[in-house]
Amino acid sequence: MKSTVKLIQRFFMVLILSMFLLLFLNGVLVFVLSVNYSGAVEGGSGPWSAADTVSQSLSVQENGSYQLSQEGAQLLASANAWAILVDNGTGKVLWNSDRLPDEIPLSYTIADLSTAVQGYLQDYPTTFSAYGEDLLILGFPKSSYWKLLYNTFDYSFIANSPWILLGWIGINVLLILGIYLVTTSGVIRAVKPIVGAIEDLPKGNSPYVREKGLFAQLAASINRASEKIHTQDYALRKKETARANWIAGVSHDIRTPLTVVMGTAGQLEEDKTLPAAACAKAGIIRRQSQRIQQLVNDLNLASKLEYNVHPLQIKTVNVVALLRQAAVDFLNLDADDRYPICWETSPSLSVCLIQGDENLLKRAVSNLIINAKIHNPHGCSIFLSVQQKGNDCFLLVQDDGVGISDSKLEALKNTPHYMMCDSSMGEQRHGLGLLLVRQIAKAHNGKLTLGHSPQGGLEAKLQLPLRRDEAGTPPDR
Amino acid sequence: MKEQEMKSRKILLVDDEPELLRLVRGILEEDGYRKIQTACNVQEGLTVWKNWKPELAVLDVMLPDGDGFSLLSQARSFSDIPVLFLTARGEDEDRCRGLGLGADDYIVKPFLPKELTLRIGGLLRRCYKDQLTLVHLSACDLDFQRAEVIKGNQRIPLTAKEFEILQALCRNAGKIVTIDQLCEAAWGDNPFGYENSLMAHIRRIREKIEDNPSKPVSLITVKGLGYRLNTEE
Repeated sequence: MKSTVKLIQRFFMVLILSMFLLLFLNGVLVFVLSVNYSGAVEGGSGPWSAADTVSQSLSVQENGSYQLSQEGAQLLASANAWAILVDNGTGKVLWNSDRLPDEIPLSYTIADLSTAVQGYLQDYPTTFSAYGEDLLILGFPKSSYWKLLYNTFDYSFIANSPWILLGWIGINVLLILGIYLVTTSGVIRAVKPIVGAIEDLPKGNSPYVREKGLFAQLAASINRASEKIHTQDYALRKKETARANWIAGVSHDIRTPLTVVMGTAGQLEEDKTLPAAACAKAGIIRRQSQRIQQLVNDLNLASKLEYNVHPLQIKTVNVVALLRQAAVDFLNLDADDRYPICWETSPSLSVCLIQGDENLLKRAVSNLIINAKIHNPHGCSIFLSVQQKGNDCFLLVQDDGVGISDSKLEALKNTPHYMMCDSSMGEQRHGLGLLLVRQIAKAHNGKLTLGHSPQGGLEAKLQLPLRRDEAGTPPDR
Repeated sequence: MKEQEMKSRKILLVDDEPELLRLVRGILEEDGYRKIQTACNVQEGLTVWKNWKPELAVLDVMLPDGDGFSLLSQARSFSDIPVLFLTARGEDEDRCRGLGLGADDYIVKPFLPKELTLRIGGLLRRCYKDQLTLVHLSACDLDFQRAEVIKGNQRIPLTAKEFEILQALCRNAGKIVTIDQLCEAAWGDNPFGYENSLMAHIRRIREKIEDNPSKPVSLITVKGLGYRLNTEE
């Protein structure tokens, strides 16, 4: 479920980022709008500064009349505005500009003036400026400005406005987070089984997701994929088991007739009444039958290991004793003494424990020893040793026989075996002995390395991991 | 047990393949066994077993009216003779099943005549060993019943460990027995780290059984691997 946690983290980060981005964008937007819609008249100034400008542009002539400068007149014309100058003492209009609407009175009481300066004069939005002791009122077209008339705020409200603003933002953020959590938890709840099912697929399980809710279609697709994988997997396993069973069956059925052939040939070979040539021929039949027996056994085991239908009987195995037993079994059968065995394991290493299938490991080691015999028909010495290095133990089977050329060694390492080759094209390797050793090593998380031995022959090195509590102990134990 | 006595033991062969029965019978007769009876199925096998009272049985696993395992489990109610299974499978499960039912050994098909006679001989010697007490060596005789070495007129007693080690070697006379097998015979299932003790015991055994313990002729060391006991038939 790590991916679900990651998903939640990612969603949360995106939310926080988008909130800050939104706040920033809103600030920019408010700024731009307030600049564009600040009600500026020509020259960039607002309606209040326009009143000040007009007031400053008005001057008294020598004859007592008032004169508006060219600049003031242009300002009024551009804003389509008008202006009146109201006398402080009488309330009468001392001067008025052009475009003064007819309904604008020319005399005012104090009450009229208070209404005019507060907001509107005959529905014309107004601003004002002092002109000496008199009052200059600027009137704008009716639909040009909208004025707030009763904008009185409580003092403490203004004094606490920074905190109120922060609280407002905080409440908004909490509200958004709450809404987010409620909605995403729903999404996560819907996503969780889907993520779990996808994680289960490569493990070989057959997950099923309920096809309901937000991701019903996705769940249905996963269920179909799971079903398909399960069916294919089952078919493949069935095929592999059938193939392994077929080989096992053939190997079983061939044994009884082979016993009769081998036994009869063995009897003839030892029959003293027969001529020597006939006994020799019976010996050939016996040896070839034994070869068939070995092939059948190897093919059976190799196919079982290849298709994973051979259960390993794992237990603690002392590989020193195992190699010694394999050597002795070989020597006890080697009647003519042409393959002497030299035991080269350090006397201090009498125990080297691994977890493994004793029979299979013994088979692997025996195959390596027999391999040395098969490839050296004129005899050779076989050198056996066990070494312990780091977390692994190494079983070495070396000989001083004819050895192997570099090109053949390369071919042995790189040419695929016919049992594993997935095409009928190209070169394929035959002979099951080494394949079996490789398979057994692989089944024990180990490996087989082939090379030239220091004695001039072939060296086979079987590397196997030590039992966990043995790993790391000094090699000189 | 004397060779002649061993070869006069009654052996029952049960297999559904007439060719194989003929072959095994021929092999045993050639090796000197004279008292052999054959059966082709479980029923016949049981009847012969009850009436003829064999002293060793060789059973095939696959039989037409059952299998060798069921035949053995029925026969075990009235007989405890040694049994050797002939199996075409060789699977661990089959081996364990046979041995679990009280079989004494198994042999996987195909096999060589020599292998079969050696197994049967070994089984008879092991199972009727109370009569096999005297083993002849180059310089002495081993009396296993009394756990003594007979050297001329002298009788030298064997310690328990020496007895176990010599028995293991005698069972495989002429063959190499690994250090680990000898340690297991003397010290049980977890015989790690007894190599030096084993060497000390071998030295003492040689002092008892050899004329010249520093140049042994009966108890031979195979360097690094184990020991071999050469007996004289």
